[in-house]
Amino acid sequence: MSIEVRNISKSFGKFQALKDVSLEVKSGELVAALGPSGCGKTTLLRIIAGLETPDSGSILFHGEDATQSSVSDRKVGFVFQHYALFRHMTVFENVAFGLRVKPRPQRPSNEVIRQKVTRLLELVQLEWLADRYPSQLSGGQRQRIALARALAVEPKVLLLDEPFGALDAKVRKDLRRWLRRLHDEIHVTSVFVTHDQDEALEVADHVVVMNHGQVEQFGAPEQVYEHPASPFVYNFLGNVNLFHGRIVGGNLQSGSLKVAAPDALAGEERAAIGYVRPYDLDVQRARTNGSTIEAIVQHIHPVGPVVRLELLRRDTQDSLEAELTKDQFRELALSVGEHVFVSPKNLHIFAADYAI
Amino acid sequence: MTVKEAAPRPQRPTITEPVWVRWLLTAIALAFLGVFLLLPLAVVFIEALSKGLGAYGKAVTEPDALAAVRLTVTAASISVFLNLVFGVAAAWAIAKYEFRGKSFLITLIDLPFAVSPVISGLIYVLLFGLQGLFGPWLNDHDIKIIFAVPGIVLATVFVTFPFVARELIPLMHEQGTEEEEAAVSLGASGFQTFFRVTLPNIKWGLLYGVILCNARAMGEFGAVSVVSGHIRGITNTMPLHVEVLYNEYNPAAAFAVASLLALLALVTLIAKTAVEWRTQRDRKELVEIQESLTP
Repeated sequence: MSIEVRNISKSFGKFQALKDVSLEVKSGELVAALGPSGCGKTTLLRIIAGLETPDSGSILFHGEDATQSSVSDRKVGFVFQHYALFRHMTVFENVAFGLRVKPRPQRPSNEVIRQKVTRLLELVQLEWLADRYPSQLSGGQRQRIALARALAVEPKVLLLDEPFGALDAKVRKDLRRWLRRLHDEIHVTSVFVTHDQDEALEVADHVVVMNHGQVEQFGAPEQVYEHPASPFVYNFLGNVNLFHGRIVGGNLQSGSLKVAAPDALAGEERAAIGYVRPYDLDVQRARTNGSTIEAIVQHIHPVGPVVRLELLRRDTQDSLEAELTKDQFRELALSVGEHVFVSPKNLHIFAADYAI
Repeated sequence: MTVKEAAPRPQRPTITEPVWVRWLLTAIALAFLGVFLLLPLAVVFIEALSKGLGAYGKAVTEPDALAAVRLTVTAASISVFLNLVFGVAAAWAIAKYEFRGKSFLITLIDLPFAVSPVISGLIYVLLFGLQGLFGPWLNDHDIKIIFAVPGIVLATVFVTFPFVARELIPLMHEQGTEEEEAAVSLGASGFQTFFRVTLPNIKWGLLYGVILCNARAMGEFGAVSVVSGHIRGITNTMPLHVEVLYNEYNPAAAFAVASLLALLALVTLIAKTAVEWRTQRDRKELVEIQESLTP
């Protein structure tokens, strides 16, 4: 079932959590809502589920307006950040809950419930925990039980609020890949909220990046990462170097650097900032053709397969971060204090009045 | 669950007082408890049995005493029931929802703690007494509230108002609304959510509130005294009956009835301790869950 969010706004007192947010999730997709805490992503998820009512705007499920329908009518599976398992029920009863509270005519027999719960527990690979209580489970196990419980009622839409937020790094990684596989298996339209860009980029079909209650960008992970639509997205998804400068004569002038600006910005003289990923900085010992910046190597951090360099620009005294592969670094054979020449391979320019 | 080993007692290097100081302080505390709590309790039973078991038996089984017991039990069960329903509803509303006037409602719930019971009794006399606001109308329709059982029930309900709600509000607050939201998202109705999710989570706290509420309802003197009219065998509750007997220079009978109330207090204490032990265990579990969630 597809989800359409149309012009949703929501305030809590004076705080505006969502400003005119629109979004479309196609049937069977796995979408990540990504943003810093307080950006409104959880509120958006709760509005889709019907746990909050929007001040304005509408929610459509499969093209039909569901803004006024109650939580239970929406047939939405919701997985809470802290799982919200019923602590006085066993794992089995937790998963069976949604089946047991069905109105009498639709309620399956005990035998059917038992089979279904067992199947779900097998799906999340925890059938051996059926008789335990939530307090006896680890975080990752609770998360999977919460998921099984939400799936028991065969929801048309699955919503997950920071599903891996409370887990440690190793479990997070395992569990998110497992979620991706599970999604490929059952194909239920899913939206999950996260503040971890790796999680969003690795797992989701599409990513919606949010900030200050607004959608900054919606797109496939590669697109969002490679072609950020705003400085915020640039900053939020990975590290970035900033080149503060001015647009003069169709070029961005930043210290000794001069790069052609896009036509949209080239018209008049104005302040602008260039954004470059650390691995898009070309570092050479000798001055090359074109525009380069002279810098001093301040620190060298070998991290796994890459080497990170902290550089100090000689023209503006700003620092830069460059990322080289082990091979590149070996070839250059740099050491701290040496002079290098840096040129950006891939630079995005945004007008400086665009606040981050 | 893994077997918990007895944790070593934490060292408290801050306590450096010499042994005799510690003993002295403990002794003072014990002496105080003995003189002000245990001694009176013992006196109640000693005085009650001072004229022998036969007199004791007669004092607690005479018709007026039995009527007093019956009235006390009736008033207590009605007010416990009403305050149970109200307390759960109020705590639910306060802990799980945001609304205008919430802090005013909390203040209102505390009102019976703040006013003297005598005044709360007087309020009902001024409202429903013969010279009171609704007095003439009630008189015309032959409805008796003051100096009758309804007045006693009203006064008891008022005085025991806060117990259940006060006990549940912090508990429900601590538990939050996530489990209820989860239940609703799984298709449960409001009733199902309450009886299957909320109630099991608060049952021990609720029982604790009910026990305290009941103890207070049975022991209430001031408010009930004002509205009762002290009609022997009809509007005398146990505490009032004790007073009447004592004023009639019949201390043995007075203490005999008083000993029943004292027994109630002991039973209450035991039940309270048992429930406290359970709630603490539940709460510890909750804390463990929450702690294990933060990596």
